[in-house]
Amino acid sequence: MSMKKIIGITGGALIALFSAQTAFSEEILKVGVSAPMSGAAAAWGLGFEYAAEQAVEKVNSEGGIKAGGETYKLELHTYDNKYNAAEGAKTAQTMLNRENINFIVGSIGTAPVKATQALSERKGAILFNTGWGKSIKGPEYPLTFTQMNTPFEILAPFYGYVKEQHPDAKTVAMITPNDATGQELEPVAIDTWNSLDVEVISTDKYERGTTEFQSIATKIANSNADIVDFGASPPTDVGSMLKALDVLGWNGVKVVPAGTSAGTLSKMAGAAAEGTYLGASADFTGDSASDVQKELNAGAMEKLGEALNGITISSYDAVMALKKAIETADSIDPKKVAETLPTIVFESSYGPAAFGGADVYGNPQQILVPVMITQLRDGNAVEVGRISPAELKERLK
Amino acid sequence: MELQVQLLMNTLQIGSVYVLFALGLTLIFGVMKIVNFAHGTFFTAAALIVSSVMIWGVDTAGMPIWFSYLIAFVLALLVVCIIGFVVYFFGFQHVLKDLNGSFILSIGLLLLLNGVYLILYGGVPRSIPAVVPGNISFLGASLTIQRLLLMIVAAIITIGLYVLVHRTKLGLSLRAVAEDQEAAMLQGIPYRRVALYGFLIGATLAACAGALMATVTPVTTVIGDDFLVKAFIIIIIGGLGSVLGAILGGLLIALIESFGGYYFDPSTATLAMFVLVIVLLIVRPQGILGHAER
Repeated sequence: MSMKKIIGITGGALIALFSAQTAFSEEILKVGVSAPMSGAAAAWGLGFEYAAEQAVEKVNSEGGIKAGGETYKLELHTYDNKYNAAEGAKTAQTMLNRENINFIVGSIGTAPVKATQALSERKGAILFNTGWGKSIKGPEYPLTFTQMNTPFEILAPFYGYVKEQHPDAKTVAMITPNDATGQELEPVAIDTWNSLDVEVISTDKYERGTTEFQSIATKIANSNADIVDFGASPPTDVGSMLKALDVLGWNGVKVVPAGTSAGTLSKMAGAAAEGTYLGASADFTGDSASDVQKELNAGAMEKLGEALNGITISSYDAVMALKKAIETADSIDPKKVAETLPTIVFESSYGPAAFGGADVYGNPQQILVPVMITQLRDGNAVEVGRISPAELKERLK
Repeated sequence: MELQVQLLMNTLQIGSVYVLFALGLTLIFGVMKIVNFAHGTFFTAAALIVSSVMIWGVDTAGMPIWFSYLIAFVLALLVVCIIGFVVYFFGFQHVLKDLNGSFILSIGLLLLLNGVYLILYGGVPRSIPAVVPGNISFLGASLTIQRLLLMIVAAIITIGLYVLVHRTKLGLSLRAVAEDQEAAMLQGIPYRRVALYGFLIGATLAACAGALMATVTPVTTVIGDDFLVKAFIIIIIGGLGSVLGAILGGLLIALIESFGGYYFDPSTATLAMFVLVIVLLIVRPQGILGHAER
């Protein structure tokens, strides 16, 4: 056999082998997360990343996502947005332009979400997010989906429960961060309190990164407000404020609509945090938690030392929604997937869930999952109320 | 009356740490004529070391809280001094009196050290128990004993620095170099050595502030950056390079934060600080005491 023939046969065999391998290899589908992995809100980012990792692992171990005759394995890329718009824009550039990620399965913070959205909508990428601003949803943002309950879902049942427990409470002092999240939360909160015959006697804002809260604590303590509403403040800041209020002898009703990380809050403020009502936390160890939630929560406790909550577990739900939507659409085209998302019912960590909220936002882009009201007792979040959205009940009929 | 006393106490609580932090920054500028954007990383390093060593000392080694804190405090100062020496030796000594060079170097250093802290400590805020728990009341104002101790220690360090700068040979050298480096060298003052001492004293002051603050606030890997912005405002108001100016500026900013935060809101108080800086830069760019000590 001539040398030419040997080279030809070997080359042909190699090409055939390579082609066969390619034909059977699985495609990689990159998914991104943009969350605060450092700073005061890091507890959210770390839990968020953990839940996304678990979802990706589950999807991959169950054979990946099948669409258009291909099987896709998910690959998670996490970026630190430091909970501000500038870093949000930077992480968006990296995800969408450098990594060519078409599916962002989670983004935390209205300001970084808005910065990301400016690019993701233009680039045609799907953006799941936890942003609390109403302005990020609507027909002009067809690729944006909110993966957790926001003030429009939480505040009415949450404040209503608090008022029910403390019928004598007549006044509330509000303090919230001076950013997009805080600014968009405040008017909804004021309207909701007013509808419950509770007067908002002061509304204050502070810059994220603030470390000294004595002056605002003095103001709140001197106002003799029955309730303090910490708005969208992260647990570390709330802990500092509660400590300062405790020193001044204030002991009213403590309400944190964005209250999530019971462990962090308890660690920061100790006994001063006891009794605080949390609007976005969860008791994923209690009877009402699903098996998936219990398992995820146990894993997070072991790995991070912090229980999951309404924000952090939402990345798991986004991955599950994405999987169902891609398989239903039979395509990984983000536009087709976005059109499919509002039509499906998927298996979230809470059980069957869907996207809706068209009557509030003008477009069905809001996840429909139960609102859980918890209270900090002995350092743990204990579920004291659970309200399922009426729209979801209708969809599941 | 009680309210005013409380707000004044708040001012002193906030101002004591601002003063310590800003003193280091202004001292470094005065002696080396550089702007150190990495100054906050010394603060952060000390706070992180105190938070981790103290928890280890109490939980693992079973030490009493105060003893554990003392060890953590000393260790934090030592580590920051070593970091300070390394960054001076390999970096800042090559950009003395070079504003552009020091700007680029210190920004790079800031990013590098923040990244290292994040890798070493993770992003989750840390909290440590009060070394001396309990509250006290003074003329109707309430504060924690821990905060009171912090104020006392900060005041002692500030007085100590003032004495060092104005009553010792090293202080005379520091002031001479700050006034006119070449004339100081002609008098036999070793400029580079004095610059190193100035840098290390500045870093140690930031470390003291960080180690003190770790006991009263959650510690994150970027905590020093939050103080850095305030410190720049303080030294611009007080006058770059002025020790008395840093003290005055620190207390003034704390006063605005305390009273402005109460009568308006914290965001408005922050805005007021920036407005003050703008006005001052227009009417008195050298700061309140910018030339008073030269």
